[in-house]
Amino acid sequence: MIQEFIQSWGLFHNSWLAGWLLAVLLSMTGVLVVAKDQIFLGAAVAEASTLGVALGMWLTSVGPFHGVEWMESDLFLSFLAGALSVAATLLTSHSGRWGRESTEAVTGWVFLAAASFAILLVSHSPHGTEDIHRLLSSSIIGSSSEEVTFLAIATFCVGCSLLCFRRRILLVLTDPDMAQASGVPARAWELFTCGLLGMTVGYSLRVSGMLYTFGCLVLPALSARSLSRTASGVFVAAPVLAILTTVVAFVLANHWDHPPGQMAVAALSCITAASFILRRLRKR
Amino acid sequence: MTRTDSPLVVGAVRSSPDSVLRVSNVVLGHGKAVVLRDIQLEILPGELWFFIGPNGSGKTTFLGAILGIHRITSGVITLAPELASRQMVGFVPQRCDAKATLPQTVREFVDLGLTRAGISAAERRENIAWALEMTGISDLAERDYWSVSGGQRQRALIARGLARRPSLLILDEPTSGLDIAAEESLVRLVVSLNRDLGITVVFVTHVLALALRHATHVALFHQGRITCGKRDGVLIPELLREAYGLDEQLLKRLSATSIQERELHDPRVHPVLGSLSQ
Repeated sequence: MIQEFIQSWGLFHNSWLAGWLLAVLLSMTGVLVVAKDQIFLGAAVAEASTLGVALGMWLTSVGPFHGVEWMESDLFLSFLAGALSVAATLLTSHSGRWGRESTEAVTGWVFLAAASFAILLVSHSPHGTEDIHRLLSSSIIGSSSEEVTFLAIATFCVGCSLLCFRRRILLVLTDPDMAQASGVPARAWELFTCGLLGMTVGYSLRVSGMLYTFGCLVLPALSARSLSRTASGVFVAAPVLAILTTVVAFVLANHWDHPPGQMAVAALSCITAASFILRRLRKR
Repeated sequence: MTRTDSPLVVGAVRSSPDSVLRVSNVVLGHGKAVVLRDIQLEILPGELWFFIGPNGSGKTTFLGAILGIHRITSGVITLAPELASRQMVGFVPQRCDAKATLPQTVREFVDLGLTRAGISAAERRENIAWALEMTGISDLAERDYWSVSGGQRQRALIARGLARRPSLLILDEPTSGLDIAAEESLVRLVVSLNRDLGITVVFVTHVLALALRHATHVALFHQGRITCGKRDGVLIPELLREAYGLDEQLLKRLSATSIQERELHDPRVHPVLGSLSQ
């Protein structure tokens, strides 16, 4: 089985590397989502990112923008995906301050509005609907070496940021008044975490699709939360669990000829279920 | 604003170069609505201040202004030079708003109080151990913060506020939700921090009896203003009746919410409430 996987390396190494890097990057970011207690936010932001891609496709299919080359580029679509993700994160995070709607209500609204508008925008486009369905169903096959390089840099930067600033980020997310009283500019750090989450999810969605993005965002962090005794432990355990599980999942997927993204999310789901059971047993 | 160092002496505001906190002509509000106006207050080192007043009288808003959480509309709040960066100000919120979304040991929770403290890892460990010891929860250091009792959690909150070894400790209704025994134990801890370590304390509470018993100074918040000064100058029946809008019988019952009820209504212990009881 392992021999088969090694043999596949020449053809799929970019896909495997991109999948692992995404798993580490998303699992680290996912700890912030779990700390905010907004698991569904990950799905809503991923949907908003899909809407960004759909918007880009729609723009190039209408009037003045039709055939504009740079607007049809992956870079532009990634930018729109990231921009709408950041906007969705900010909207949900600040919903409590603006009105009476709860964060859950706004998150649900973002998810449903983005999902429906994304399909409506591309419904008359010849390949649009197919592209959006591909994004929603997820595939990590076909990643490029440029994407791998970018993901490696992003993962390194996010990892270093969380390592250096995890205390103040944790304080801002869980007790903003105390953070402000300690001289930590809570609003600025909240914007930073929203931006980080939005950009990470936006870019990941373009590379791997919604299922893999959402799965790697929340499942390793949930498992790590169940298995760790400390908050710092969660920040370490989430990426470790993510990388170990996706390595095994990709090897199995290659052996049984299953889609690797779905296999990884299924494996992560099993790990999460096991961690929930372990936690319950430990409490007894 | 009225400051009384002796009963009903109006406007007697001290001005000392040693003051820990000086508030001059401050106006505070939410949007266009003014919550507090013309606040003048000076707190000197080693004083134990109780901020009391009815719900919605602006106590927490005023604390927010001192801590830099709320912006003031006008006026000046001056902290002692060593407190200007708020590094030496310890803050204990009413309750920890942190959600139980991530596991956290008591030690790790207290460690959050040293966020941005700019100290070495060894100093950090030392400060945490000291704060845990001061609050009597060293044995809980490795326990899950979310599984300890309410009283122990409040002590952990105080330990978090103490971790910086502050010279000014601000507590926003720390006894809220605690039973009488836990409340008494917590207040004794705060009083000992003030008396034994010389930490200046600002204690916000609804429990009038706590202020009567322990305060050296009191700020009474009512009708958008503050009356402040030495305890016996502020906690007088006229001002309390005006602030709480209660008749004498109800005022007596209000003050009887603490374990020291009988003592407080003994004129030999407290002349004010003692006189009300007679």
